[in-house]
Amino acid sequence: MKRPFICYMMVSALTLAGGCAQPPTDKLTTAEKAVNEARAAGAPTYLAEDFAKLEGMLTAAKREIAEQDAKFAMLRDYDKAEQLLVTVETDAARVNTDATKKKEEAKAVALQAQQAAQEAVKATQELVKKAPVGKDQKPLQAIKADAQGLIASLSEVQTALDAGDYRVAQIKAKAIQEKSLAVQAEIQRAMTKVGAAKGQKDKQVKKHPSQ
Amino acid sequence: MPAPTRVFLSGCSMVILLIGSLAACVQTAPPELLEAVESLDRDLVAIQGAEFAPTEYARFVQDWAALKGRMLAEEDVIRWPWEPNPLAAHLQKVQEEGEQAMAVATQRKEEERRDAEARLTLLDRRLRIFNSRVDEMESRVVLGQRPIETELLVRQAHSFLDQGLFARSLQATEQASTLIVAQTALLTTELKRYADERLVGTWRQMARRTIAWSRTNQATAILVNKADRRLTIYRNGRPVVSYQVRLGYNGIMEKRYQGDGATPEGQYRVVKKRDRGQTQFYRALLLDYPNAEDRRRFHKARRTGAIPTGAFIGGQIEIHGEDGLPMSQTLGCLMLDNRQMDKLFEKVEVGAPVTIIGALKVSNPVALALADLEQFEEG
Repeated sequence: MKRPFICYMMVSALTLAGGCAQPPTDKLTTAEKAVNEARAAGAPTYLAEDFAKLEGMLTAAKREIAEQDAKFAMLRDYDKAEQLLVTVETDAARVNTDATKKKEEAKAVALQAQQAAQEAVKATQELVKKAPVGKDQKPLQAIKADAQGLIASLSEVQTALDAGDYRVAQIKAKAIQEKSLAVQAEIQRAMTKVGAAKGQKDKQVKKHPSQ
Repeated sequence: MPAPTRVFLSGCSMVILLIGSLAACVQTAPPELLEAVESLDRDLVAIQGAEFAPTEYARFVQDWAALKGRMLAEEDVIRWPWEPNPLAAHLQKVQEEGEQAMAVATQRKEEERRDAEARLTLLDRRLRIFNSRVDEMESRVVLGQRPIETELLVRQAHSFLDQGLFARSLQATEQASTLIVAQTALLTTELKRYADERLVGTWRQMARRTIAWSRTNQATAILVNKADRRLTIYRNGRPVVSYQVRLGYNGIMEKRYQGDGATPEGQYRVVKKRDRGQTQFYRALLLDYPNAEDRRRFHKARRTGAIPTGAFIGGQIEIHGEDGLPMSQTLGCLMLDNRQMDKLFEKVEVGAPVTIIGALKVSNPVALALADLEQFEEG
């Protein structure tokens, strides 16, 4: 009678042990991968708060797993952690898509700003060729240095674009465009001044042909 | 009422009572509390909680996520009515964490905004003063592309500030400030000679010698003061007339080689008078630059590598009028307006001494502007 009882006990114990919950390792790996992909898509920059939530959920899931791990094997329940990890994975995919979209939008805006800046710098260069130098005007060399500086700054826009830092690229491009327009306006004012002075001179010469 | 009916009715009421009490035991999160936490969550997104209160926001987000999971897991849990509602307690905790994150984020965002704005305002003022002193010294060309780099950074700092990117704004402000410091240092290196008592003393002696020559020889001599941008005609040792003069595009600098735009300092003589038709600059007085001293200095600079290897010493330094062409500029010459040039041309003969000095006094406009800049940077 004794032997069958021991066997029964062993089978029961094994059945119970086999029935113990296992940590959701695969789900955790998948969720972490999804979060990393969202990070790579630029979520920390373009959807910072949503990304922070993702990371928060992942941490909460990990904490839950750790809490369950600390419990007696038979009392472990990873259901809550699993649910959180499934939510992380689903949300990460959405954040990834939205971040990619936002990044693309920012890229388009930055590229547009870059083009506007390039055109403005080119127009400035053209105008510099016609820039006059009068007695009270800024020396041509200074204006030339400004134009050179603007050309050099365009490379910073490209660097920011290459780094995927589209907001910075856009702001840099905007600053270049604005300054280019300011330099153009400065040259235009000087040209008008010189033109007016020349006109006055011509008039005087007509009035006093003996001079 | 017959007994079976009574028994049936009492059985039904018992069942209803049991169901009623069981229904009361299914505990859900209080909706008003839930709405308050959701609202906090939205506000924290709007205020950029993740950026301005990362720790507090992360704690809120983690607990909020855990609570959501818990609400999902405990949807069907039935508790006795006298048991406390753990979801409400958890929500309360999350709400408190959210409020704390909100308070921290609001405070930090405001602090960063004020800090970025204050620094940018200071930078704007600093840049205005800097530009004004640079204009006073006519030393803009010395700085090359740095002024435009600085201005672009300042514009970027303003844009970042407007977009609420305070850390970026501060970064651009810092970079611009560093550039201003570097430019001040460059100006000090290049122009400190205007504050050098020994050198100013030498220039004063040169001026005295020229005036003495004019007196001794009862003749006309010209003295040009670069710091004051004045050309003074002396006759018989007395100043007759003084004109505002324009220097080379980089005229305030010491002349080193051809094409540097600097106006030379030294004692020269008029070697040729070029009248209308003989020069593109109306009328001109050609000077004997380079003289022996200029050559000695040039060769020494070339030997020591202070100037580019292929550099030439140059020549053709004149006092001339304006040509009226849009591209006209002086590359190191001295320019007067044509009416003044007429007067000078009539008064001066070939052989007349022309002395060009940096300054007559240590407290000259260049030295004063430079000191002002340095003082501002130190302050």
